[in-house]
Amino acid sequence: MSALAGLKIADFSWVGAGPRSTKDLADNGATVIKIESRRRLDLGRMSPPFAGDPKDFNGSAFFAQTNTSKKSVTINLSDPRGIEVAKKLVAWADVVVENFGPGFMDRIGLGYSTLKEIKPDIILASVSVAGKTGPMAGFRGYGNSAAAHSGHAWLSGATDGDPHMPPLAYGDVVAPMFLTVAILAALEHRAQTGEGQHLDVSQIEPMVHVIADLYASEPTEKMGNADPSFIVHGVYPTSGDGQWIAITAETEAEAAALKAALNITSIDDATIATATRQHDKFVMFDLLSAAGIPAGPVLDGKEVAENPELLAAGHFTKADHPVLGKSSMPTPPYRFSDTKNAVTAAPLLGQHNREVFVDMLGLDPDHIDTLIAEGSLA
Amino acid sequence: MSMLAGVTVLEISDGLTDFGGRMLAELGADVTVVLPEHAQEKSRERAWHHGKTRLLPDSAEAIRSLAAKADIVLDGHRNGDRFDLASAVSPTTIHIKVAPFSAAGPYAGRPTSDLTLFALSGLMHVTGEPDGPPTKFPGQQAYALTGIQAATAALMALYARRRSGNGQTADLSAFQSATLANYREAVMYEWTGRIGRRQGNMLVRGKSGVRQIWPCRDGYVTWSMIDNPSMMHAVVEVMIEQDAAGELADIDWGSILVAETAQETIEHWQSIFGAFFIQHGRDQLGQWSLERGWGLSVIMAPDDVRSSDHLKARGLFVMVTDEATGEKVNVPGPLFHSAVMDAPRRTLSVPVAASAHRGGAER
Repeated sequence: MSALAGLKIADFSWVGAGPRSTKDLADNGATVIKIESRRRLDLGRMSPPFAGDPKDFNGSAFFAQTNTSKKSVTINLSDPRGIEVAKKLVAWADVVVENFGPGFMDRIGLGYSTLKEIKPDIILASVSVAGKTGPMAGFRGYGNSAAAHSGHAWLSGATDGDPHMPPLAYGDVVAPMFLTVAILAALEHRAQTGEGQHLDVSQIEPMVHVIADLYASEPTEKMGNADPSFIVHGVYPTSGDGQWIAITAETEAEAAALKAALNITSIDDATIATATRQHDKFVMFDLLSAAGIPAGPVLDGKEVAENPELLAAGHFTKADHPVLGKSSMPTPPYRFSDTKNAVTAAPLLGQHNREVFVDMLGLDPDHIDTLIAEGSLA
Repeated sequence: MSMLAGVTVLEISDGLTDFGGRMLAELGADVTVVLPEHAQEKSRERAWHHGKTRLLPDSAEAIRSLAAKADIVLDGHRNGDRFDLASAVSPTTIHIKVAPFSAAGPYAGRPTSDLTLFALSGLMHVTGEPDGPPTKFPGQQAYALTGIQAATAALMALYARRRSGNGQTADLSAFQSATLANYREAVMYEWTGRIGRRQGNMLVRGKSGVRQIWPCRDGYVTWSMIDNPSMMHAVVEVMIEQDAAGELADIDWGSILVAETAQETIEHWQSIFGAFFIQHGRDQLGQWSLERGWGLSVIMAPDDVRSSDHLKARGLFVMVTDEATGEKVNVPGPLFHSAVMDAPRRTLSVPVAASAHRGGAER
């Protein structure tokens, strides 16, 4: 049995910030019903890379990786009859997840007060760029907005360079992790008190939290790759074109071991770089690790995909997807002794309509067929 | 009451666990942390350990005794298995063993730091300027990401314990935690054969690349020409009002795929946007973005973040008192908004010897 077996999630979220959280829950055994619509496709379904035709909304590997282990139903949330079916999912669920703009859930008749009337102990988990309150509530942004508003971009890059944006939507990575923690904590609170609640997660605030140590230091300075609390803390070239290795020495013992391992008498950056240039980064990794010195080759995408440690640890699992075939899906970074994770393929759009609406909610199959045909469940 | 009221946590601090323990403390758990052998930077202590009871590691026996009584043990193994807590915990304890790598994989036992884990994650390879070295994210992101996963695993096991009555052990890999954040590079290689590289502040999609950072009159903003017609229209509408749109006013953004537009054309259009942005200040551009839905964000310096009206209204920063010195420091507090949360203690406690500790981490 998985850790979250029995947990029921009605997931109205899309793209990255919500779906990555509900992936955490689904991969650990929660039943996650992803509410989608053909009329307003999850943009994740249109995000590269694709298995084939970019217009095939079931063929995005990006979407597949972000939505493992979930079930998909289609509900037209602009149709009152669709909303009535959505309310039945709310009545079934322990947790409702959404990442719409402020006011949208209220406008479609699924605001928190309505959800509470349907199910008094419901947990509503919301995630948005700037949160639901404050002067910036309603800010319309995208994945990297939080990097700008948190100070992350200002603090990134070379010390003498411009601000630097992360190479991915890092706010769409960190915020959903906070959302998962928030949901799990709210479930514990509900178990203790019987009370549900509305959780309001901003993307900006988690991005500030993960650099809290820099905010605890005044003035907060841009450091590049440096860390003055270390004797050695840098990235050094190795043999081969564009190959690098990160090396640190925090103690005098590590610094002495580094000198010995590299056969150098000084540990300034230039001397270390001269020594590391002579070797392959993986050979250097083995050499320094054996000498007790923290080191890490700078891996590219291919080297991550093929990394022996990640493969041995089961970091990627092969899920059999109807369109993508057997393809690599990331798994949780932890392994429980008693409860197993259960990573399965992402759903096709509306794949579970009948299973959810008829078998699970007990709705009349003819009525469901009518609602599908007339676009209410589409 | 707090969300984790009554939950006791013992944390063995080594960098990997620190933010996980901090999250649980912020949520109301009673967290006791055993400090590392080597003292951390003061800023890191204040950021990661406020709200916890801090212990010096003078007695393995006392620490093992605390582990036996705790609901949750976040057991950092970056510096090895310091206290053999696996043999000390009770059947109802949730024991999260946090190590740099998997327990039995080819990298097991190798020494690590935040920087080396970040290098391995694949994120560093694509961060920085094309002609410069790989660059890390600010702070210690591999540690932070691992800490969040440690808190997540603990809370999942707590949910399972409510069902079964039993605790359990989890092995958590920091390398996997950091790599999980890198959602693009491995999958892009798998499906396209392309290996990502450093692009500086260019956002490259399809045939062309677009700028992400723009100087304005008094700083920088981030905004990109992306295939979002409503955002493009929203910016150009204001440029028309300000008589700065030029030929951009005549473009039907709904019929253009920016990602498929020639780089030369992109550069020309960007020169018009750039001339507009440099004429205006951050506050004005930020206000237009908020009101008109541009998707533009002001690049905020740390002091801007500290003094942000929005974050003040949200109550993000809290004052923490260092009990040893009486000094106060302004650091992030609440993890998110929840109406049911009481404020946790806002102090950095004075460390006491584990052998002399009474209370904490006990059910």
